[in-house]
Formats: sequence, structure tokens, C-alpha cells
Amino acid sequence: MEERRSVEASGNSIEEATEKALAELGASREEVEIQILSQGGRRFLGLGTQEARVRGTLRPPEPQEEVALVAKEVLERLLAGMDIEARVSLRPPDLPEGPNPIVLDITGQNLGILIGRRGETLRALQFITRLIVNRRLHQWAEIVVDVEGYKKRRERSLTQLARRMADRAILLGQAVSLEPMPPHERRIIHLALRDHEKVTTESVGEGDLRKVVIFPRGHTAP
Amino acid sequence: MKELVEYMVKSLVENPDQVEVREIDGTRSVIFEVRVAQEDMGRVIGKGGRVANAMRTLLRVAAIRQGKRAILEIV
Repeated sequence: MEERRSVEASGNSIEEATEKALAELGASREEVEIQILSQGGRRFLGLGTQEARVRGTLRPPEPQEEVALVAKEVLERLLAGMDIEARVSLRPPDLPEGPNPIVLDITGQNLGILIGRRGETLRALQFITRLIVNRRLHQWAEIVVDVEGYKKRRERSLTQLARRMADRAILLGQAVSLEPMPPHERRIIHLALRDHEKVTTESVGEGDLRKVVIFPRGHTAP
Repeated sequence: MKELVEYMVKSLVENPDQVEVREIDGTRSVIFEVRVAQEDMGRVIGKGGRVANAMRTLLRVAAIRQGKRAILEIV
């Protein structure tokens, strides 16, 4: 945030001056840094009293909040440029504490065009958003972009696919290969079958053709 | 579409003032010729063309909305 608002206020006590400063900034005590300019109280030689004086300055947003705001703005600009009418909202974190990626949800009508074949467009949108945000803030933040809960649905269907194909590999007694998938989708398959007693998984192939192969245990990779 | 291209490219380079985007309109397709400072070439192309390809993917959506095909060239 470029703007850092700051006000000075005075009162009969530090508390009173602080209250006034907060009211003027329209912020709560946590959002404001209070600097005491004058304690107030009796003046030297006891001639009258001096007012207490403080300076209140709005704290810059938390780094995570700042990233989220910038990310939302960047994504909205991109969508407007793509001639897409949609709403962008920040998903509340899954875990109250600890590192959470920033997740931006896009909602609206007919947004299939934003997902694209096998999620290709959505991946590009997330990649460019992340690149622009991190370039602007000179840092590296994990930013996830989702459209109408697509990723959750995809994860669920990939997990189901993994289990079905594992059953098939066991039944046939031979390796079963899945269609080529991007890295994070292959990862979902590997994780889904990681603790499976009867199969192992491995990625084979290069680049866009890389795919997961499920082996019944006892068989080895070629 | 041109706005989208300019926004993406200018946001990714170190020298946004040296970004030039030329739009060449055809009946069914439109070409965007992008020029950036020499030192920014890598930033708009990316490893293995990853950045340029992602920009093309987003541009394609904008183009489809207008019933056109868009081509992005970094020259």
C-alpha cells in the first residue's frame, strides 16, 4: 500500500488522545501505531496543564493481506482484459495458523472457457497472475486460482480414477498407464495410491507426454 | 485484446516504457507484435517459452470472445 495515513490528536490524557486519533482514522487499536508526542499533565512551574498529544499511523497491511489484495487486483485486470465478467473472492484459509496459500475463487456464469482443455487455461491464468504479483512485490508467494471449485472436483475425480485403475492393474496382473497429465495432477494420483498395499506408481515419459503408470506390487518398472 | 497484451507484458518487464505493442488486424485473425527491451526478452518468453505460451492461452480466450484468432509474436 502506498498510502500511509497518519493523524495527530490531543486530549486530557494519552487514552483520550488515542481514542480521538483512532476515531479520526476510522480504525481499531490493532490497526494503528500510536506514538506519544507529549505525556501531558502539569506544566513546568505548575502553570496550568498541558494536553497529551499522540500521533496515530495506520499500520501497513500484513504481508499476506497485501499479497492477497494485489493478487485479486491483478486477476481482476486479467479477466477484464479477457472480456470475462466474473467475481473474484479471497477464499478463507483452511488452517487458522501456519502457511496457507492465497486462494482466489472466480465465480460467474459460463466460465468453462476459463478452465480450458484439461485445465490448461486455468493453469495459464494462475501462472501469469502469480508471476505478475511476485514481480510487483519482489517476492515469491504461493497463489492459487480456482474457477467454480474446479480444482476440488478434479482432485476428487482423479482420486477415484486412481483407485479404479489400481483395481484394474491388480485384476489384470499387469501395469496400467493413465493418460498424460501435468505435474500437480500426477502428484494427486501418486498421493492417492501412496499407501496402497497392492500397487506402486511411477511417472514415465517426457514433458507433455509424462504420465503415471500403476504397477501391481511384485512387478518392476521397465 | 490489445489492452490485455499490454497489461501482461508491461507487468512482467523491468522496462515498461520500452514496451511496444503493434496490432495488425485481419478479417478473421489479429496479430500482436510485441517489442521489449533486449534485457526483458527472457522475462516475456520464459523458460522453454512458458511465459509467452501462457500469455497466448489467455489471449486466445479474449479472441474467442470476439470471434477471432489471435497471434502473439515477440519480435
